[in-house]
Amino acid sequence: MTNNFPLINILILMISAFTAPLIKDFKKTSILVLTTSGLLLASTGATLIETIKNGHYILNIGHPDTFLGIQFYISNAEALIAFVFAVIALMTIIYSNSCIKSEIEENRIGLFYTLVNILIASLLGVVYSNDLFNSYVFIEVSTLSACGLIVIKDKKENIKATIKYLVMSSIGSGLVLMAIAYLYSITGHLNMTLAGQVIAINHMNYTNSILIILTLFTVGLGVKSALFPLHGWLPDAHSSAPSPSSALLSSMVIKVYIFMLIKMIFRMFTLEIVKSTVILDVILLLGSCGMIFGSVMAITQKELKRMVAYSSIAQVGYIAFGLGLGSIGGMTIAVYHIIGHALTKSGLFLLSGLMIKKNKSKYIDDLKGIGREMPFALILFTLASFSMVGIPVFPGFISKWYLSLACIDIGRIPLILIILASSLLNLLYYFPIVINGFFGQNNLQGKVYNSKKIEKAKIAPVAVLIVLMTLTGLFSSTILEIISASFI
Amino acid sequence: MKLLILTPIVFPILSGLYIRFSDEKKINRILISSAFINFFLTLLCVFLIHDEKLTILEFSDIINLFLKPDVLGKIFAVLVSTLWIFTTFYSIDYMNHEKKLKSYSMFFMMTQGITLSIAFSGNLITLYLFYELLTLVTFPLVIQTGSDRALQIGKKYLIYSFVGATFILFGLILLYSQMGTLEFVPGGIVGNLDNIDESYYLMVYLFLFIGFGVKAALVPFHSWLPAAMVAPTPVSALLHAVAVVKSGIFSLMRMTYYVLGWELIEEIGGNKYTLALVLISILMGSFLAMGRQNLKKRLAYSTISQLGYIMLGLVVFDKSSFTGGVLHMFFHATIKITLFFCVGAIMHYEHKTELDEIQGIGKRMPITMTCFAISSICLIGIPPMNGFVSKWYLAIGGLERGNYIVPIMLLFSALLTAGYLIPIISTAFFRGAPSTEVEIKEPGNYMLIPIVILTAINVIVGIMPNLLIDIIDRASELLF
Repeated sequence: MTNNFPLINILILMISAFTAPLIKDFKKTSILVLTTSGLLLASTGATLIETIKNGHYILNIGHPDTFLGIQFYISNAEALIAFVFAVIALMTIIYSNSCIKSEIEENRIGLFYTLVNILIASLLGVVYSNDLFNSYVFIEVSTLSACGLIVIKDKKENIKATIKYLVMSSIGSGLVLMAIAYLYSITGHLNMTLAGQVIAINHMNYTNSILIILTLFTVGLGVKSALFPLHGWLPDAHSSAPSPSSALLSSMVIKVYIFMLIKMIFRMFTLEIVKSTVILDVILLLGSCGMIFGSVMAITQKELKRMVAYSSIAQVGYIAFGLGLGSIGGMTIAVYHIIGHALTKSGLFLLSGLMIKKNKSKYIDDLKGIGREMPFALILFTLASFSMVGIPVFPGFISKWYLSLACIDIGRIPLILIILASSLLNLLYYFPIVINGFFGQNNLQGKVYNSKKIEKAKIAPVAVLIVLMTLTGLFSSTILEIISASFI
Repeated sequence: MKLLILTPIVFPILSGLYIRFSDEKKINRILISSAFINFFLTLLCVFLIHDEKLTILEFSDIINLFLKPDVLGKIFAVLVSTLWIFTTFYSIDYMNHEKKLKSYSMFFMMTQGITLSIAFSGNLITLYLFYELLTLVTFPLVIQTGSDRALQIGKKYLIYSFVGATFILFGLILLYSQMGTLEFVPGGIVGNLDNIDESYYLMVYLFLFIGFGVKAALVPFHSWLPAAMVAPTPVSALLHAVAVVKSGIFSLMRMTYYVLGWELIEEIGGNKYTLALVLISILMGSFLAMGRQNLKKRLAYSTISQLGYIMLGLVVFDKSSFTGGVLHMFFHATIKITLFFCVGAIMHYEHKTELDEIQGIGKRMPITMTCFAISSICLIGIPPMNGFVSKWYLAIGGLERGNYIVPIMLLFSALLTAGYLIPIISTAFFRGAPSTEVEIKEPGNYMLIPIVILTAINVIVGIMPNLLIDIIDRASELLF
């Protein structure tokens, strides 16, 4: 029974997605959606416990060895990522129940929840799938629902951002599809395991083809996960979307594609074969550039959400960096960073949403003195930025530490400097907000402090996310152990 | 019993938080009582805890935070708690009419807790964590005035500190990947010196030294320190004499003698490079101090030079040098805090900050300026004052290692020290209109009494340094 949970997850989400718009009453919709994500959390949790106990398992739907057979491969990493996604989804939905009304029109709330559910379902699909065609379908679904989540706000900038996202993302999908077709023509399989077996035997005859396929996958999935320099769509899209959408997009959507890349490189192509090509070094280079460039761009931003969005580019850089190191340690820490950053960044986006709403301005300069008005929110923001900057115990520090150790393991010590430089740059844009928020005085004239009135319903889900983030840091060794079990 | 170690750390933090949420009128009473209580808690710790290890968090090899007070840490802790009492009294008077007193007092208390936890840390990771936290809790103190300039300087302070911390982190990662532990062990954790990768450890050493050196105001990473003079005087005094720079120095001591071990550093020749940096610090600090008209700035540059002396004990590996370094850490703390208090008193009561303005101030504030003069003489190191004792040990250490440049430098720099301190004294007492009757107006008791007591301490420890030296010997026995 528990074995079927991954499939049931997706089905529940889909059913709930298409029921939500049918219910006219806003309250009933939110109860439905909350129940769904509660169930999701429980079942992903059960799956996680199951895989940790019994190791990975394969879930066949239909006939996997035929052309259109669907197969899920669930190991610790997948289960863990799914669990974290479920947590974030639940928290985001609790958050949006209380304040989505102010961001989008009321008659669209049902649609919003539909899109959220479809998005989560398709992302879980990408995470679980072990066959390429199914992955591709889920990728497409996720892209379209993500577009919907951005454009649901119906402003000029949202439409512009969405079109940009849609065009770039479609190019990415096209490249992925080409890669899948090419791979199919060589191996005759769409199932990753089976294709991998063929590649293992024949790769010497197809070195160039494999390089081309890898390049296509990297570029295609890179566009979707905003890998530098293919990130052009991200700042607009993430900053213009409603905050709950941004939180989902930034913490889950961009991570899934790079996780798929990790999965393919590890399971289908295997590290040995990939190492004989240049592709890992390219990923490493792009990751490093992203780490630096994303942070530098974030420093120059004037709008809070844009800044947080650019920071996501830098963080994707970290994940790519871990993958590009081409070692088991690097991949483990890349997956760890996916989890740690998903929790941190969703919290940050939700907090930015709160601050922007309270302050009625999206500019960083206007946030001076915000700590008087919403001290609790700013404290949470501070904790999240501690993680970004790399204060020990928080997951940001753990990622940096183990990435550096992985660099030393493969004998490339200078690479550590990139990691450290990037974390210093993070300091330059997160701390000013914290400092000006707590100590700035400029904008205090003529304002009423409402600090006594803490809006629990909005803060509580964010607080849960931040607490989980801290726990991710504290229990890092356990988590890393769990993850590394799927990279054997 | 073990939990006793935690009390002097947790107590000030809690009482800081309590201040934040209590009545404005009660602040002074809470501050004074908690300074005294914490002093006694520290003493209890020092006398009752022997070689006990208190784990705070242990989740993995890296997140393994524990406290383990040893002799060196205890010396530092006692120094911190003692000086905190004086600073508390002083700052109550000084900050009397300031705004934002609550948040100031909160961070003031918290800083003490964090500094003590640096003193008691049992491994480098714990130390590193609290080292970063120290930056964060002292930052609000630096920008206390809230002006734009203060915020600018606050940013400078943060950036310098965090760049330093990044260097440290780099060194830590490199070291950890070889050792798998970062615990403090007298003599170092590296152990077997045969066939080690010399350039690798040299890199580790230099990165760690420079990283910690930023907080210890090592030239050329010093410029945050004079800039941070924008803070109120009690804070400057604290930053300079006790909390921040001394934490940097203390961490350097830990790193040099307890993590890498001096034998390793000598083997790889790392101290050749750092000795040069330290000597430059001593000279540069003195020269720059002479050029400053602003009294607080002058003292700030003097700190840079004096910290160089202490660091001599860290790059010349001899028992006497070590003793001299630790002694000077202690002496410089008490002397410099006195000097700052005097200058702050002039600033607070007479609103004078420049050298030219203080003509004849010696007649208006005779006790204050006498204390200033006595402490200056201590710092210059005229026998039998305490500065002489520590410099004597440093010189001896240099000579025993055949390093003749050290004693020469010490002599030369003593002259320079006189060069920037004597003008203040002479201006205060002898320059200006040969007086008509001047009304004597000493600072209030909360300021004056700490100044007098500290001056007395300076003189007494100069006459009886053996009390301290005996204690330091207990630490140095394990090292040499």
